[in-house]
Amino acid sequence: MADPKEIVLEFIHSKSKQKSKFYFNDLAALFPEMKMREAKKLINQLVSDGVLEYWSSGSTTMYGLPGTGKQAGAEGEE
Amino acid sequence: MAKHATPLLDQLQSGPWPSFVSDIKEEAERRHKNEKNVEYQVPVDVCDDLLGILELSYKDGTTHWKHGGIVGVFGYGGGVIGRYCDQPQMFPGVAHFHTVRVAQPSGMYYTSEYLRQLCDLWEMRGSGLTNMHGATGDIVLLGTTTPQLEEIFYELTHNMNTDLGGSGSNLRTPAACLGESRCEWACYDAQELCHQMTNEYQDELHRPAFPYKFKFKFDGCPNGCVASIARSDMSFIGTWRDEIRIDQEAVAAYVGGEIQPNGGAHAGKDWGAFDIEKEVIDLCPTECMWMEDGKLKINDRECTRCMHCLNVMPRALRIGNDRGLSILVGAKAPILDGAQMGSLLVPFIKVEEPYDEIKEIIEGIWEWWMEEGKNRERLGELIKRQGLAKAIAAVGLTPVPQHVMEPRHNPYIFWKEEDVEGGWDRDIADYRKHHQR
Amino acid sequence: MAFVSSGYNPEKPMENRITDIGPRHFSDFLPPVIAKNKGTWLWHEICEPGILMHKAESGDEVYTVRCGGSRLMTVGHIREICAIADKFAGGHLRFTTRNNIEFMVGTLDEAKKLKEYLNSQKQSGGSHRFPVGGTGAGITNIVHTQGWVHCHTPATDASGTVKVVLDELFEEFGQMRMPAQVRISMACCLNMCGAVHCSDIAILGYHRKPPVIDHEWLDNLCEIPLAVAACPVGAIRPTKKEIVTEKGETKTVNTVAIKNERCMFCGNCYTMCPSLPLSDQTGDGLVIMAGGKVSNRISNPKFSKVVVAFIPNEPPRWPTLAKTIRQIVEAYASDARKYERVGDWAERIGWERFFEKTGLEFSEHMIDDFRDPAYYTWRQTTNFKF
Repeated sequence: MADPKEIVLEFIHSKSKQKSKFYFNDLAALFPEMKMREAKKLINQLVSDGVLEYWSSGSTTMYGLPGTGKQAGAEGEE
Repeated sequence: MAKHATPLLDQLQSGPWPSFVSDIKEEAERRHKNEKNVEYQVPVDVCDDLLGILELSYKDGTTHWKHGGIVGVFGYGGGVIGRYCDQPQMFPGVAHFHTVRVAQPSGMYYTSEYLRQLCDLWEMRGSGLTNMHGATGDIVLLGTTTPQLEEIFYELTHNMNTDLGGSGSNLRTPAACLGESRCEWACYDAQELCHQMTNEYQDELHRPAFPYKFKFKFDGCPNGCVASIARSDMSFIGTWRDEIRIDQEAVAAYVGGEIQPNGGAHAGKDWGAFDIEKEVIDLCPTECMWMEDGKLKINDRECTRCMHCLNVMPRALRIGNDRGLSILVGAKAPILDGAQMGSLLVPFIKVEEPYDEIKEIIEGIWEWWMEEGKNRERLGELIKRQGLAKAIAAVGLTPVPQHVMEPRHNPYIFWKEEDVEGGWDRDIADYRKHHQR
Repeated sequence: MAFVSSGYNPEKPMENRITDIGPRHFSDFLPPVIAKNKGTWLWHEICEPGILMHKAESGDEVYTVRCGGSRLMTVGHIREICAIADKFAGGHLRFTTRNNIEFMVGTLDEAKKLKEYLNSQKQSGGSHRFPVGGTGAGITNIVHTQGWVHCHTPATDASGTVKVVLDELFEEFGQMRMPAQVRISMACCLNMCGAVHCSDIAILGYHRKPPVIDHEWLDNLCEIPLAVAACPVGAIRPTKKEIVTEKGETKTVNTVAIKNERCMFCGNCYTMCPSLPLSDQTGDGLVIMAGGKVSNRISNPKFSKVVVAFIPNEPPRWPTLAKTIRQIVEAYASDARKYERVGDWAERIGWERFFEKTGLEFSEHMIDDFRDPAYYTWRQTTNFKF
């Protein structure tokens, strides 16, 4: 199997013209053979490794590449 | 002299109920005096500016806060809510004003020592404003800046042995009633189960991977003091399946007027002498009680354990001995498709360490919801979309009449091929042997 | 304001990091009499408003004094609570799910002295600090949300509306003359982060104007697909628009269009996109709902129903809100039977009588037209009252 990190990065880059943040389900769908809770471990590991970062609406959490997206500027947290 | 004039808020300093305005003003003064020489890590006038921006909202009738989604502590996807004010030049003290949710001990008992530690931390590294507690149950610390978040987390975990709570698409901080600690109606140790499940699922609480938020609440009995049936995706409500224990002498004492009904809850008005027929037997929803030779009789098999008779006569009637809990699923507030109450999933389960049976139910539901749930779909909405039967199947239970208030109103049963004899594969030639075209 | 480190090293965030420890175990905090008798309580009674007595199998008694608290409280206020706990209750206390504070003592005499002390404590403006009550068939503390104090989508203030309603109902907090307990709850927008949908009386902030669109800036501050996806009713779509900028230039920008008639005023789009602000001085106000409950006692748990479609925001003291709630409470107190909750009462007399007795006006806005559940609220029978 290809490096999960590469799979996630490739997917995010392919969508980067439209949006910078993704739901867990969007990323988990990249690993159809995995159980959801395995995918959870993998994707959260990417957060711990600094590959991804969380963005929370308060009620929902999304994932994106650190520092990307227009909110980053709007929130003044560069 | 206050930094900002607050003529509108000042009008909330009158009236008998405790005034949050007076409280915040007093805190603002204490910060300026700083008698203990605290090395404030957020602006000293944070409380003044909070009052200032709130006064502005009172004047113009609109909020002045913006949401922020990035801030948090490393490796956690929840526990911190980003807040920024939209008038930072006028109110620099609250330009960045993030919320920190802190996990509360179940039942919300504290020692003054612990709370003082929390106060010291929050006075130095935050605004000094809190919510005791937020609606979900967390200790909520209101107002700090981004550089303080890791420092606060470090002090909480290292000095106070306390973790953050949940937010976002996580398991939210579970909450329990005070349970067995001080209530005769607790059918299981709600505090302990809440604590154990909170710790068992720390990963789900801090690292989001659910379609949306998910709440556990633990009520010790059907009175529902933490409202689990209305506001938790998974509601654990204590119950029993044997007989209500009756003390006939105490029943007689209630009938004779020696003991106040309902623990004296109605003492503020003259409701007349206690009438057991009118106040207990006639109000029993299943009509399973009667008096016989001066003794109270209960047909326990017909009882649905609504708690009314126990509530009215706590000294005469006690919960049964064969105790456990019911699990209901899918409660939520109206957004989006309308409010939902929890629907019964597990009629009865024993509460026994290490709680493996309960964990199996929880994990069965999560597996199903994580696979099938759409983005931002609460468990209750998935149950509505796919049907309660799917939820029952997800946890491997057999459907029973207890699962419904009444059977379905339509015959549109979506039969599965394997449930119909002979399957669905038919030969048109066979049909044509008996039917012309 | 020199930075003081906690010990955390930003260069090495994982060094000595403690995670996933959860809350403190409650047994660290139980008063001795509570720890000793846990699981063996026999019965309880309310000795007088605000004082509860619990009796254990061991014969032990614990007296609890309950007082009201503002959910929004400062560390200074918490320290006062701690001082009271130290002086009267062995350094222990607890909070209730309705933001009340409880101190536990050994005798009725101590409880009465504590009650007297708590009731004598006043704030600088003259309000009570720790009013004792909130027990039995009365009106206890109002649970609420953040409001203008700290939230980005509220349609009103939460602390303020709660303060004025509790000022209005103050004497009910300290007495027990209601037919049953009356639970009042407040949420400052329809997202109900405080779930108020099963309360005897619910106060709900409500917006009535769709978001206003900051076309010039939207594409710079927000990602349009996320704003579109945030809308739960699919009312937002991407579009291009020719605008005149603040500097007077004409240009075409990427932005969104909103189908206003579809908007349910939830503010989810504003959460994702600060260029879609929702709040508005005249548009925003309050809804009152009534007749919900969570207890299974006598009747099943039930949802609150909308009984007042709109009350304007009237800060700082929201007089119409306070008066309307008083009206509902008085009608209920004088007409309901003992043990009957607001919703049980309304169902027994019929909602047509509820509006008559409370003097509230019925309008088309009280007829549900939102999706499936609406049908089940209409009257499919000839059984009604004139």
